[in-house]
Amino acid sequence: MDSKKKNHINRKEAIKRTGLLLGGVVFAPNILGVLKGCTATPGDWTPTFFSQDQAQLVTSLADVILPADGTPAASEVGVPQFIETMVSETYSEEQQDRFLAGLDQFAGEYREELQADYFDGTDEEKYDFTYHQNQLALEAEPGGEGTPFILMFKELTMLGYFTSEPGATEVLRYEANPGIYDGCMPLEDVGRTWAT
Amino acid sequence: MNLNLKAKKENTYDAIVVGTGISGGWAAKELTENGLNTLVLERGRDVKHIEDYPTATKDPWELPRADQIPYEERKHYEKQMRTGYTISESLKHWWIKDTDQPYQEEKRFDWIRGYHVGGRSIMWGRQSYRLAPMDFEANAKEGIAVDWPIRYDDIADWYSHVEKFAGISGEALGLPQLPDSEFLPPWDLNCVEEELRDAIDETFGRVLTIGRAANLSQAHNGRGTCMNRNLCSRGCPFGAYFSSNAATLPAAAATGNMTLRPHSIVNEVMYDEDSGKATGVRVVDAESGDVIEYYANIVFLNASTVGSTAILMNSTSDRFPDGMGNDSGELGHNMMDHHFRVGANGEYDGHEDKYYWGRRPTGFYIPRYRNLNGNDRDYIRGFGYQGGASRQGWHRGVRELAIGSELKNLVTTPGKWTMGMTAFGEMLPDHSNRMWLDHDNTDKWGQPQVVFDVEFKENEFKMREDMKNDAAEMLEAAGMKNVSTYDDPGGPGLGIHEMGTARMGRDPNTSVLNEWNQIHAVPNVFVTDGSCMTSAACQNPSLTYMALTARAANYAAEELKKGNL
Repeated sequence: MDSKKKNHINRKEAIKRTGLLLGGVVFAPNILGVLKGCTATPGDWTPTFFSQDQAQLVTSLADVILPADGTPAASEVGVPQFIETMVSETYSEEQQDRFLAGLDQFAGEYREELQADYFDGTDEEKYDFTYHQNQLALEAEPGGEGTPFILMFKELTMLGYFTSEPGATEVLRYEANPGIYDGCMPLEDVGRTWAT
Repeated sequence: MNLNLKAKKENTYDAIVVGTGISGGWAAKELTENGLNTLVLERGRDVKHIEDYPTATKDPWELPRADQIPYEERKHYEKQMRTGYTISESLKHWWIKDTDQPYQEEKRFDWIRGYHVGGRSIMWGRQSYRLAPMDFEANAKEGIAVDWPIRYDDIADWYSHVEKFAGISGEALGLPQLPDSEFLPPWDLNCVEEELRDAIDETFGRVLTIGRAANLSQAHNGRGTCMNRNLCSRGCPFGAYFSSNAATLPAAAATGNMTLRPHSIVNEVMYDEDSGKATGVRVVDAESGDVIEYYANIVFLNASTVGSTAILMNSTSDRFPDGMGNDSGELGHNMMDHHFRVGANGEYDGHEDKYYWGRRPTGFYIPRYRNLNGNDRDYIRGFGYQGGASRQGWHRGVRELAIGSELKNLVTTPGKWTMGMTAFGEMLPDHSNRMWLDHDNTDKWGQPQVVFDVEFKENEFKMREDMKNDAAEMLEAAGMKNVSTYDDPGGPGLGIHEMGTARMGRDPNTSVLNEWNQIHAVPNVFVTDGSCMTSAACQNPSLTYMALTARAANYAAEELKKGNL
């Protein structure tokens, strides 16, 4: 049991082997027709739970946390709509109230500091303010139920983003059917963090 | 009269199997392969292999709400959610709604279950370990509860029999406390797990191996190779792990001897005073509410520990006023589970240029090492560990200073290696840990509700100290940093290894079943699910249920042919 045969393979080889393995099994017909339906439909989102102002703030804040920079911005993969769905469908009333109060407070503090609405700010203004809010939250965080608003929001944004198809496949790495398992291969042969 | 006779003939089989989970599937396979015309009853809906796995091939973005159920739905699953992992959009259809299937708790008991063809064999953890000779001897040696009526040698060939069919991946070690199975090739450990293996071998002389799992590392008996998706609980489109649906029920169906009837809630086993045998079962059709009687020469109860025990308790007659086979008064007592959710986590500096490919369907296993040669702790019996190492994913970015492109860049590279391990400890059988039926409170099909009064006791709590501290000590021996421990037992039942409420034994005065899983006083009724267990050992139990079932079913078929049943 002390000599484990290492199975180092490069990325190309791994993909090739995956393909071979997949080709070697009999698929049931019904799983061939997997429908690629995306839950996020960016662009045509009409908020039903958030007010128009809240929706604008959510969209702009999500895009500050995960902007377009060669890979899509949060709003381009449906994150604002995802956040609305999570808050309106999976939160208790009390959690919803906390989220909305946090959102209002965030907007209020920005307005007080910069005399404008967050969503009207320049990229730099929004980034600086958000960076500072995130920093304060990390310094202050008690953990558990008391998670500061900005961290709740950041987590929701990242969850929506990295479970979206572009987030999982373009920014992170995703293989629906890895085919093989290799417990110890060069990181460079995988390239990026696994989405799942 | 003629009509009645005809109806009775139509409803008569050689054998009846109640339940389609891990053990029921095996009973169906072995009985039908012995040529017995067998009726297989399942209280829930039908689930056909592959075509009834609605979420099996869903990508993360195809699941609503990042796989979380709506808040409004949570009220239906208050108890089923206690595991923290059972109720999600991708899995909720496998678990009952507590609002439909109520039960009562004198003390917290987590009865986590799914009612459909295949039962929990669809969602099980697939960890597969033999019990050891010492496990069958421990009760007698230590004067705990009653002696097992069998020894390891009685079941060893039956372990082989079920393993060869099911397909168990793992590494042969030759350990006396964890006998080897008939193995398919093992999965690999990853680099950090290898570090832990080497460190605890060197420091403590303890063994770490890859978890033995009913996952196919190569194509086996017409089922496909595991694709390393680790979405097993959704049902596997490749049939690459053992379930009743993928393996035993198709084999039973292929004989032409099986009649599978879903939506059939067995209300009781019917008893005939004159012959001293069971005549069949009375069923409530879950859809129509009709009560139907089915007849057979032998009855196998595989309705799960609580289910089978409840059926026997509800099967009362002049001969058995306290439930069929309950001459000993032990029916419903001696409930066991494994106690777990205690262990340690740590971080590893190094191997930062290494990563893994694929989502392995098993973790590592540290076999029991305590109290192997006599008892030298302040508790008896022992525990094993299950765990794994992995690199942190995107979530670590939440609590980082980075936002914007820096955040994206940060989480695009995997984080530190982290490792966690959880101990699974043996729970002793205790007469006071019991379930019973509340006939005043029934469910919507008129079945009495089950009440639980079960708790962990002194031996378990003492053991947990070692379970916690040893975990931390081993992680530290491997150079882990930021090692932290946890100890949160939850309720009994949370291991989903409930067992022991119709135990096997040598003496009809102190046990319900004999060495062939027959009810002592009703020889044509066999109970081969977890309820038969005389002690729990610390290994995951399903493989033992499979072996006991195959053994009992072949015995029953032989006895029937000889005219003894």
